[in-house]
Order: sequence, then C-alpha cells, then structure tokens
Amino acid sequence: PRPSHFSPGDEDFQENHERQKHKGKRRNGDRPKNKRENQRRKRSSNSEPETSEESEDEEEVNNDGEVRPELLSPEELEKLKEAVDEKKKLIQSLRGKPWPMKQKLVTLRESQLFVEKYEGALGKGKGRKLYAYKVMMTKKWKKFQRDFENFKTACIPWEMKIKEIESHFGSSVASYFIFLRWMYGINMILFGLTFGLVMVPEALMGRPYGSIPRKTVPRAEEAGAMDFAVLWDFGGYAQYSVLFYGYYNNQRAIGWFKFRMPLSYFLVGVGTVAYSYMVVIRTMARNANESGVGDDNSFNFSWKMFTSWDYLIGNPETADNKFASITTSFKEAILEEQESRKDDNIHLTRFLRVLANFLVLCCLAGSGYLIYFVVRRSQKFALDGLENHTWWERNEVNMVMSLLGMFCPMLFDVISALENYHPRVALQWQLGRIFALFLGNLYTFIIALMDAINLKRKEEKVVKYNITMWEASLYNGTGSENSTAPPVTIHPADVPRGPCWETMVGQEFVRLIISDTMTTYITLLIGDFLRAVLVRFLNHCWCWDLEAGFPSYSEFDVSGNVLGLIFNQGMIWMGAFYAPCLPALNLLRLHVSMYLQCWAVMCCNVPQERVFKASGSNNFYMAMLLVILFLSTLPAIYTIVTIPPSFDCGPFSGKNRMFDVIQETLESDFPAWFSKVFSYASNPGLVLPFILLMVLAIYYLQSTSKSYREANVELKNKLQMVTQRLDNFVFLTSYGSDFILNA
Amino acid sequence: MVSPAIALAFVPLLLTLIIKYRYYFVLFYRAVLVRIWKDCVTGLSREERAFQYVLTNSTPGDPDSILDAFDYWCSKVEFISNIGPKKGKILDRLLLEQSPLTVLELGAHCGYSTVRIARALPLGARLYSIEMDQGNAAIAEKIIRLAGFDDDTVELIVNPSDEVIPRLRSDYNLERLDFVFMDHWKKCYLPDLQLLEEYGLLGKGSMIVADNMLFPGAPKFLRYLRKCGLYEWKIHRAMLEYSRGIRDGMAELIYQGIK
Repeated sequence: PRPSHFSPGDEDFQENHERQKHKGKRRNGDRPKNKRENQRRKRSSNSEPETSEESEDEEEVNNDGEVRPELLSPEELEKLKEAVDEKKKLIQSLRGKPWPMKQKLVTLRESQLFVEKYEGALGKGKGRKLYAYKVMMTKKWKKFQRDFENFKTACIPWEMKIKEIESHFGSSVASYFIFLRWMYGINMILFGLTFGLVMVPEALMGRPYGSIPRKTVPRAEEAGAMDFAVLWDFGGYAQYSVLFYGYYNNQRAIGWFKFRMPLSYFLVGVGTVAYSYMVVIRTMARNANESGVGDDNSFNFSWKMFTSWDYLIGNPETADNKFASITTSFKEAILEEQESRKDDNIHLTRFLRVLANFLVLCCLAGSGYLIYFVVRRSQKFALDGLENHTWWERNEVNMVMSLLGMFCPMLFDVISALENYHPRVALQWQLGRIFALFLGNLYTFIIALMDAINLKRKEEKVVKYNITMWEASLYNGTGSENSTAPPVTIHPADVPRGPCWETMVGQEFVRLIISDTMTTYITLLIGDFLRAVLVRFLNHCWCWDLEAGFPSYSEFDVSGNVLGLIFNQGMIWMGAFYAPCLPALNLLRLHVSMYLQCWAVMCCNVPQERVFKASGSNNFYMAMLLVILFLSTLPAIYTIVTIPPSFDCGPFSGKNRMFDVIQETLESDFPAWFSKVFSYASNPGLVLPFILLMVLAIYYLQSTSKSYREANVELKNKLQMVTQRLDNFVFLTSYGSDFILNA
Repeated sequence: MVSPAIALAFVPLLLTLIIKYRYYFVLFYRAVLVRIWKDCVTGLSREERAFQYVLTNSTPGDPDSILDAFDYWCSKVEFISNIGPKKGKILDRLLLEQSPLTVLELGAHCGYSTVRIARALPLGARLYSIEMDQGNAAIAEKIIRLAGFDDDTVELIVNPSDEVIPRLRSDYNLERLDFVFMDHWKKCYLPDLQLLEEYGLLGKGSMIVADNMLFPGAPKFLRYLRKCGLYEWKIHRAMLEYSRGIRDGMAELIYQGIK
C-alpha cells in the first residue's frame, strides 16, 4: 500500500527535469528529529527504493518527510547525490527500455518518489522553503498550462461530432467536415468585417429608413413590399435595407465621430479578398510542409501492407469495410502490376479515353448552352414584366443551374468507367471535370449578368433625363423661379429613382446562393434520408434485397460536397461587394449545413466501399480554392474598375469610378505630403520595376526549391545504396564466418 | 407548366441511370421479356426448352458435357437462374474441401446444381435433392439420370422443403447432414435453416451454402446470421450467373453448435 500523501500522481518527466535545475537551498528544518530515524533513513536511501517507502511511513508525522541535510555527513551527501542522479537518469531513459509496461510504471513511480524526497537534501541549508515554494509554483503552473490546453481543445467547435464521424466513416469523410469547419472560421471573420464595419455603422449612424429616396421603398412597390413572396425574392423591404449596396448613402462622413462610410465600404471589400488570399496561401504552405513524404513508386506493396490501416476507425462495420477495401486494393495493385507488364491494347485504351473526353466535352457544351439559353429567356421575361410569369419561369435560371450541377457529375462518373484509370487518377479527372462544369456555369451566368448590367446603364441615361424633366416641372408648379422659394417637400417614396445595377447584381447572387442551398438540402433529404427510410422499411416486403442491391443506402460523396462548398465560397467572394449580407447568409448556411450533414451522415449513409486517404487530396482542394478565389474576384474587380457606379444609389454614387474614394480620402483626410508620396509610389515608373523584382524573386525561390528537391532525391538514393551495402556486409559477415568454419 | 429547360436539365440524370444500371435492364430483357415471348411462341415452358436443347447437344453419361450444354443455352439463348460456371467453381472447391458423405440440396430446379454437386462427391456419398414443383422435378430427374447418376448417389424428393425436413430423420434415416445447398425461394432460406437446427440435423462442422445472397438477396437470413452467433459465416463474392456487371454472393456457413 502506497502512502497517499505523496503528490507524484503525475508522471511528468519535465517536472523532474525542472527540479534538477532548481537544486537550490533548503531552509533549516524546524522540527526535531531523532538521529535514529535519520540513520535509518540514510541506510535506506542507499538501498532498494522499495524499502525507502517503509521508512517513509514513519515520517508521516513530519510534513513532506524531508531529510535534514545538516544531519548527513559529506560522503553520505555525496552518495545521496549520486543515487538521486542515477534515479533521474533512469527516469529519463525509461521510455526506451524494453521492459513490460507494468514494470516501467512501477519503476517510474518509485524513482520519482525517491528523487522528490531526497533532492531537497542536496540543496544546502537556508533556501529550502523557497525552493519548495518554487517547485510547487512550477508544478502548479504546469498543471494550469495543461488544463488550459485541454480547455482550448474542448473549445474547438464540433470536435466530438467530427471524431465520431471519423471513427465510423474513416478520415476522408471527416476531412470534409474539417474543411467545412475551417470555412466556417473564414466566413466568421468575413462576417465580422462586413457586419461590424459596413452594416452596423450605416444602420446606427447613417440616415434612417425613409429619410432619403434611395432608402425608401418606391410608391409603386409599396403595396407588396411586405409580402413573403417578395421578401423571399429579396425585393421589397429586404432590398431597401443594409443588406444591399443600394441602401448606402454617399455621405463622406457619418455619425458624431465622422466614420468614413464609403472608404470603409471599399476597404472592407478589398480587405475580405486580401484576407482570404492570405489565409488560403498560409494553409497551403502549412499543408505542403506536412505532406513531405511524397509518393514513392518503389516498394508499393510494402507501403500498402504496413501503412494502409486507419487507426482512427472505431466501428466494427467500418473496420470490415476497410479490411475489404484494403484487400480489393491489393488485388487491384496485383492486376495493375500484371497489366503494366503486358501492354497490349494500348490503342483501344487510348481510343476509349479520347471518346470519354469527347463525351464529357459534349456534356459541358450542352450544359453551357442550356444555361445561356435560360438566362436569355429570363431577360426576355424581365422585359415583359415579371408578374406575368409563373414561379417556375421566374426561378428557371437558378433551378437549371442547380439541377445541372447535381446531375452532370453523376454522368461524368459513369462515363469515366470507360477510361480504365487507376482510381486516384480517375478521381482527379472527375474533380477536374466537375470544376470545369461549375466554372462554365458560373461564367455563363456572369456574362448574362453583364448584359443585364449594360441594359440598366442604358436605362440610367433615360432616367436621368426624366428626372431633370420632373424636377423642372416641380419647380414650375410652385410658380417661383428663384431659389429662395421654400423647397417643395416631396415624400421620398414618390421621387423617381435611377436604376441600381449593383443591387440587382447583389440580389442575383443572393438568390443563387439561396436556391443552391435549398437544392442541396432537398437533395439531402430526398436522396439520402427518404431513400434510407424506403430501404429500411420496405425491405421485408420487397422481392429483392434493397440493402444489398438497388437502391441501398447511399454513400457520402466527399469530392462532390467539397467542390460544392468551394464553389459556394466562390460565389460569396464574387457577390460580397454588392451585397454585404452575403457573408452573414453564408455563415448561417454553413452552420445549418454542419448540423444537418452530420446528422444525415450518421443516420442515412454507409461507409464507402473504396476508402480513400484524405491527406493527399488536401492540398488539391486548397489549390482549387485558390483558383476559385482568383477567378471569382476577377469579375468583381473588373466591374469596380471599368463600370461607373450608379448615380442614384450606393456609397459611391456621384463618383466617376468606385476607387475614386481612395483618391478623395488621400486628398482630404491625410496631410499633403502623404498624397504626394502616394502619387510618387503609384507612378508606373516605380510600380513596374517593383513587379519585375517580385517576378525575379519568385523565379529564384522556385529554382532553389527545385534544387532542394533534387538534393533530397539524391540523398534518398544514397541512403538506399548505403543500406544495401550494409545488408551485403551483414550477410557476408554472418555467412562468411560459416564458410570459414565449415571450410 | 414546367418549362422545357428544366425538363432538359433532367436528361443527364436519365442517361446516368440508364448507363449505370444497363446490366439490370439487359437481365430484365433476357429473363422476362424473351421468356414471355418464347412461351407464347413455342408453348413449352422454359425448363422444357432447356431440356430439349441439353438432350440434343450433350453426351449421355458425361456430366461435364451436360453442364456445358446448359451453360451455353443459358448464356446464349435464354436465361435460367442456375448456379452458373463461376459460382459453380466456388461450390466445387467448397465440396472438395469438405468431402461430405451426406448432402442435402434444397431447390433442384432443372437439376444443374444437382449434377454439379454429384460430380464432386466422394465415393459412397449420397445426395438428397428436394424440389417442390412437379414439372421441374420431372425434368430434373431426367437430367440427373442422363448424367449417369443412379439412385445410390442421388435421390430426388418431390415435396416442399418445409414438409420434407421434419421427416428426413424418420423416413430417410438421416442422422447428420454434412453439407446443405440452398437455392430455392429466398424467403424460405430462414425458415428452412431454423427447421434444420430444430430437428438436429446439423452437427458441428456442417457446411451450409446459400446462393443469391446479394441479388435478389435474402435480408432476413443475413440478419439472422449476424445475430444468432451459431455459425461462422462468410460471403463469397462473385458475379451473377450468365451476366456481367451484376454482383452476387454465396454465403458459406459452418455450424458451430450451441454453446
């Protein structure tokens, strides 16, 4: 029975290490102790650690049971010190010893007790209490640090959910949820920026609803402004609110502390993009560091044999599946090895691959044309007036885009069976094709949107003319020519409005996101949940086994979902400048998605038959995200730079270009020398050499990284040669001696 | 009402379904449509047509040629759900490993699997084959005798299996069955298994092989297997007979005895 008042319930090696450093002085003991006890203790300190425990029982009378150093002679002190050092060395090296665990734990505990008891004896005299205090504080600090780490880990949202999913489904499905959580973090920051710096200042400090024409629902639309159908389409009161670009006033400074609203709007727009770039590239760099091993093409079967198992699996059915999938992958590897030896029919394979690519191209072209056709039709509807058409016709574009985005990847998957690629290569082709599909759809949508923007700008000229006419008629009506007459008070709702293409763009994006979300959720409910319910409850009265054959439970489609997430984020980046409510909407959507998909995966899906490791594809998804970020900020930047803002709505109304707000701020808010410096810095003569320098730096870094990679490969080869030589040497010495003996 | 564009957007889905399940469509065509057509045209039943073909195209007394003739007819002319060459090889291997002396077969149908099993039996073994349908049983009897197996080796019992199994011990003096092959109606797998257990016809180490575990599938049987713990079981995965692309499996059970 161990005495319980000893504190080392913690097997913390570091603590002992710390104590080594603090071989400080101990204070002279106050309590009287018989010499006899000390002598017994001295004797026991040089013997086995176990017996020291028995003597320690007697020391329960004293606190801490410390040895009085002044009662020991120098040689004994020396011996004690050696013993303590030996015990410390033992503790340090314990991990590497080939003992059974129980023995290790017992030895550890005893050594720690010994060290703790007798180390104080080594310090001399006075500083003992201070030393004890220091030791106690260090221990407490370590404990606090550990608790804080635990608390930080417990604060990570949804960690238990994801771990549970990982144990059931393997690491690739869990990687989707980890990716979702990471996206949620990014969107949280974007939401913070847009909400805190754009929406809230305008709502609190800007002019309230109804004070100026752009903030009021026009008289013509007032009747239906509160209808649910109108609000769902983001018209009515939703349109004339902080959610969209058009509501914002172009007043240069608002509120009592002169918040520069237009500047803030512009900078937040630029800042969201900059932040996103930074985060994505930083994550890519971190992932590149981790995946350093790389794919060796040698020792394929050894790698498979020793590294295929996923130790995070905690569910028997998943383990069975993983086992079956490893077996299948072995079979496939053997087949592949055989097939790579004989390589007949290369022409047939090539022909089939070309055919498959041709079919995919046809499908892509077909889907692109369909979207273009539908968008043209919706523009025709808009010209006719939207009220004459059914709900289906009004939402045709969104529905067609969502449906195509759902069905075409399935078709690509089926066509890729023709190509006969290795599954990982096939997956990359599949992802590339889905990427092309989504991109094509998105850009067709944008081109159609550009047409609508141009239409609105043409309308602007007409409306400007009409407004001048209307104002003239107003002043004529009051019958006074000079400006000293009291201005006519017209209710803001009655003032004729200029068209606002930015709000229209924002609305289109919001509608697209909403319909995409709805389609995803409905597909989830029908394709996964309803299917699972049918399979489960119809199985005992159906002629064939629904679980084993068609339709069976669905599998979780990792790549499709990840791509959907990436493209969704691309749309947010595209539209966030024109609809500041988009990050908020996306945050809500991701939050709901997380819970809904976690539930759906656990409830309706079965683990995949082909279980893929996620680590290789992580950087691939990040690279796609980067490309999407670049491609989605392009249209926004193009519209900002080339198209003049609407004259009647938004924070930049009245300016020639949106980025003029920067110029204005530099001139008015900063001292004169600052704007001079800036104008020098933005001189093309300075900017071009700088760009050239950056290009050269990138080239230099690229070539050094290539040379490091080659050096790595060479080292690997050398290592292989050395081990081979060592093997030969070992073989020769072990058998060589046999030869000599038997010769 | 619904615009043509939205209808067109469903075209990829249709194409996907057609391409993914093309083997099932082909199977449906061969097993159902061609059969109905031939039934109307010739007036004979499917098994009789098969028998006529086998009679004319095989060597009497040679089980291998009978099986080959059957395989040819089922793959090229029409479709009958015998066990087929691939799954048959698995069955042969299991039989060779087990070397049973008393074998029970539930569901002889045309006699293909009976001939297959009888071919792989050791000397002195006896096969009891149960078939419910009179017409099929008549054809099976002819095929078995054509293959050259006499009454010592193969006995064909024409009764439903749930009536025969209780009487196996009393009427046929069977103590223990070394091997059972189930290929009759899938919903009868579980009741017949439980009957065999109840009447004590299974001993430790008896092997039971059940066909068509995945297509059409016997879900209750599988669920019972997983739960009861009396058997060590595994599923041999293969393809459905005479068709490519449709997965199927045979379950191999080894009775462990009550603990």
